[in-house]
This record gives sequence, structure tokens and C-alpha cells, in this order.
Amino acid sequence: MTFELRNITRRFGNRTAVDAVTIEIPQGQMVGIIGRSGAGKSTLLRMINRLTDPTSGSIRFGDREVSSLKGAALREWHRDCAMIFQQFNLVPRLDVLTNVLLGRLNHRSTTLSMLSIFSREERIMAIAALERLGIEQTALQPAGTLSGGQQQRVAIARALMQTPKMLLADEPIASLDPLNAKIVMDALRDINEREGITVVTNLHTLDTARNYCDRIIGMAAGRVVFDGQPSDLTADAIHAIYGADKDGAGIDESMTSTSIKTPDAAQAAGALQSAGIQTLANARA
Amino acid sequence: MTTADMHSHMPRTTRDIGNAWDRMVAKRRLYTLIGLAILLFAAVSSAQYADEANAGHFFERLPHLFDFLSWLIPKDWADVWRALFDIASPNHTGGEEYNFADGRVYVSGSFYVPEYFELMITTINIAIVSTIIGFVFAVPLAFLAAKNFSPSWPLRMFSKRVMEFLRAFPEIVIAGLFSAVLSIGPVAAIIAVSLHTIGALGKLFYEVIENTDMKADEGMRSVGGNWFERVRFGALPQVLPNLSSYALLRLEINVRASTIIGAVGGGGIGEELKLSISRGFGAKTVALMILLFATIVAVDQFSAWLRRRLVGEHAFLLQH
Repeated sequence: MTFELRNITRRFGNRTAVDAVTIEIPQGQMVGIIGRSGAGKSTLLRMINRLTDPTSGSIRFGDREVSSLKGAALREWHRDCAMIFQQFNLVPRLDVLTNVLLGRLNHRSTTLSMLSIFSREERIMAIAALERLGIEQTALQPAGTLSGGQQQRVAIARALMQTPKMLLADEPIASLDPLNAKIVMDALRDINEREGITVVTNLHTLDTARNYCDRIIGMAAGRVVFDGQPSDLTADAIHAIYGADKDGAGIDESMTSTSIKTPDAAQAAGALQSAGIQTLANARA
Repeated sequence: MTTADMHSHMPRTTRDIGNAWDRMVAKRRLYTLIGLAILLFAAVSSAQYADEANAGHFFERLPHLFDFLSWLIPKDWADVWRALFDIASPNHTGGEEYNFADGRVYVSGSFYVPEYFELMITTINIAIVSTIIGFVFAVPLAFLAAKNFSPSWPLRMFSKRVMEFLRAFPEIVIAGLFSAVLSIGPVAAIIAVSLHTIGALGKLFYEVIENTDMKADEGMRSVGGNWFERVRFGALPQVLPNLSSYALLRLEINVRASTIIGAVGGGGIGEELKLSISRGFGAKTVALMILLFATIVAVDQFSAWLRRRLVGEHAFLLQH
């Protein structure tokens, strides 16, 4: 099913955050949205999920008119269009397993949910999701006690429980260290490749967008100024998205990079990573 | 505002900053002096008013302020303990002043609960039941009234007005009204304290809820949770320790409130205290006051301990 944004605009007071954006995303694509802070990336993503309402324009998913949904239909859209946040947005005082199970909320009876009664199948499903992300050992801890990288993986497991048709990620790695950022991005790519779920993610590091995404959308001042494959992202395109610094020089990509490049660092990372990545690799095999 | 025009408002040299600071301090001192002068004037004039209102006897009678308390001093201090634990007194010669042993509440065999302890338990029970009822109704009302969780504006206004109405009347007024309808007794006291508690707790609760971190709630919205699920998982785990802390604080207040209501016919220890004071029974009154004092200190200490366990030292910053 194709996802379409047509002339989507959002104004806050007299400031236009997103200005007449028109995009079409075929099912199964992995899209990265890049741009300066305040370019409207987050607002755009939140409008897709309808956590923020568009001022005007239309959002369509297949034959569903997303921009006019209300009540129960809107909650169903929230379920079908899972979202991952920069600050994870888990319930910190509840244990990890319950947090993951909460992804099922829209699939089940409210009364049972209120009493925190979940079926055996749901529990198995949640543990499988945690195993897939390599954090099943944290299942009984309160979510707030986990590290950022672990919390983000819990959030991804919760999103998987929604059995979404689309997955949005709002700066999923902005508050993570490079190693955890890699684990999270690998998990998103894995979901995209294995389940064929469309993934749309806001990123603030160019090299991450280049490495993981099939398609990159560049935004500046609420408008789409670049839309193409990573290979099309030339120095001129980057200049159009980010502008120049006060000396007129362009952006040095290595400045924003968080990838682990130096040989010995890569080695150290490899040793550390094995625990998390191995599980992912096993799950994929 | 750009950085450039911010700088133009700021003093440029050290001397300028020094002078500006001097002026600021001088202004502050002036305000303090004016405030003190107003306070002094108010104190003197109110003392004068009090003197006139007492037909000029206020200052004259002031040394006799504690005279009327002299009857409180029992002839035999041991009677205070006898009154407290319902032990027969040698001073008993019929009448009600020293009939301590008559009040015993036998539980089984020769084991009894002293009368005053039973009355104290009644009063504490009134407070506990009222606090629980108040809590149960205040939580949903507070969620309807909190700006960040209210489903709609009319519901929010309705809930806020209901809570304002309930806390506008002191417990003692509601108790008077209900004891006229339901006759004198603990039920009237429970209704009165509960209604006031709903209003008082509801206001504190919705302020706590409005200050919650909305990240978890956003997460619940993003998975497609409805209003009940958002409240249950997005807010409750976060606010429940604070709500419980406020409920415990309210319990302390309600113990006092139900004692006072007892004096207007709400049953419990307040009623006994009022009777004993009005009849001038020194030993009984002192015994009741000791028991009341000890109980209130114990309840306060216990709830303070529990609140500290619930929300940490923060519990005492929230108190106001």
C-alpha cells in the first residue's frame, strides 16, 4: 500500500513548521529525513502518525484517508503506524515486559488491559520480540533503570507488538552512543527488510542516513528541498539542506558522524557488540 | 531578542554593575521597611480594636488568661492514668467524675478495651474511611479536571466546579447539615469529612497530574491506547506515589477534623472530650487530651515515614 502526503501544512501561530509537503512512499521503503533543527522533520513525522494534526492537506494510506480520522479509527491508525521517539516514551516505573505488552493495547479489551491481564500468547509474543532485540534478560526490570540503548530497543519491541504497517522513528539515535545507535539502526533495517514494513526515520547524522536508507528526503524551513537516493546527495544538495556556516564553507560530514571508523575502536566495539548484534544475526539467520 | 540588543541593555563596566546593584539593594531595603511599618501599624491598631471590643478590659484581663484552666489540674494525678485505662478509682463515690471502671468495653472474658481507646479508634476509623472514599472519588475527578488529560472542556469545568463546591464548606458545616438529616452519629461525620476530602484532594491531585511528564502518555497514544489506558499506564504509575502521599497528609488532617466533628455530634472521642470539658471533669479531660495528643503525633509520624518511603525527601517539599 502506498503512503501519500499531499500539500501537508502545519502552522503554529504565524510560524509555518511544515509548508506544503507532498511525498509518496511505496510500501517497504526505508526513508531517512534529514535537515537542520527546526526544519519541520519532527512535525512532519508526528503529523503522519497524527499525534499532531495537520493544518491543511491530505494524508492517505492505501484507500484510508488518514488526515480525517477520529476517535476509534484514529486510535487504530496509531496502532498501524507505530512510532519510536528520541526519549523512548516508555512507562519508566513499569517493568520491561509490561511495557512491551502495552504495544497490544489497541488489539484487546480495555477492561483486561486496565487490570494488566495478558494472555499466554501475548506474553510469548512479547518475550520473542525482546529476544529478537537481544534484551530478554532485562524483562523484569523497571524500564526506567535501563540504559538509553536498551530503552530504545524496548520501545522497538513495543512497536513490533502493534503489528504495524508502518514504523516511524523520530530521532531514534539522537540520545544514544555510537554503538547503541548502530544496534538500533540495524534493528530498524532488520524490521524493514524482514517484515517489509515501511520505515520513516528522522536522522541528524548524514552518514547514518547514507548507510541505512533507500531514500533520503532533505528538509529546510518546512519544505522538501531534496528527495532522492543516497548517491544523489552531493555537496550542493547538502548545502541546500543545511545551508552554509558563517564562513561560507559547507558541512564537513565527519563532524556529525557518530560511526565507529578507526580500526582499534572498531575492534573494541566488535567485542562489546557481539552480545547484542549476535542475537540479531541469529534471529535473522 | 538577538544577542546584540541584549548586550545594549547590560551595564558595560564593573562600576556600572556595582552602581546598579547598589540601587537594587537600596530599593529592596525600602520595600522591607515599608512592609514592616504596615505590619506594626496593623498590630497596634488590631490590639486597640480588641481592647475596645472587650469593653476596654482586654489588657486588664490579660494576666487572667489561664485562670480558667486551673480546674483542669486533677486533685490526684493518678486519676489521669486510671481514667485513661479504666481502672477503678478510690475517689469514686457515685456520680460520673470518677466512674472510670464503668466505661470498660469487654472483648472476651476479663479482657477489655478502655473506653477512651475505643472512642479514639472510632475517630481514627472515621478519618480512614473518609480518606479512602475521598481518594476513590477524587482520582477520576482530578483526571477530568487536569488540563493535559481532560477529555473535553465542559467536563473539565464541571469537575473543577464540583470540587470547588465540595471544599468550599468546612467539614463542620456539612456535618451539622447531615446530622440534622441522618441524626447524630459517625455516618454523618463520614459523609461530611468525605465530601470535603474529595474537593480538597481533587485539587491537589489535578495539580500533580498537570505536572506529569507526558512522554509515557505520548507513548500510550502512539500505540493506539484510549483515554482509560492512557490514564492507567501513561499517568497513574507516575503520579500514584504523589497522590498517595497527599492522601496520607489528608489522613492526618482528617483525624483532627473527625475529632472536632465529634464535638458537634459526630461520635468518637470529640464528643466525649466536649462532654468532659463542659462538666469540668479535670482528670478525664487531661486523660483525653493526652490520648489525643499521643495519637495525632503517632499518626503524623507514621504518615511522614510512609510518605518518605513513597516519594523520598521530595514529600516534604510538596507539602504546603
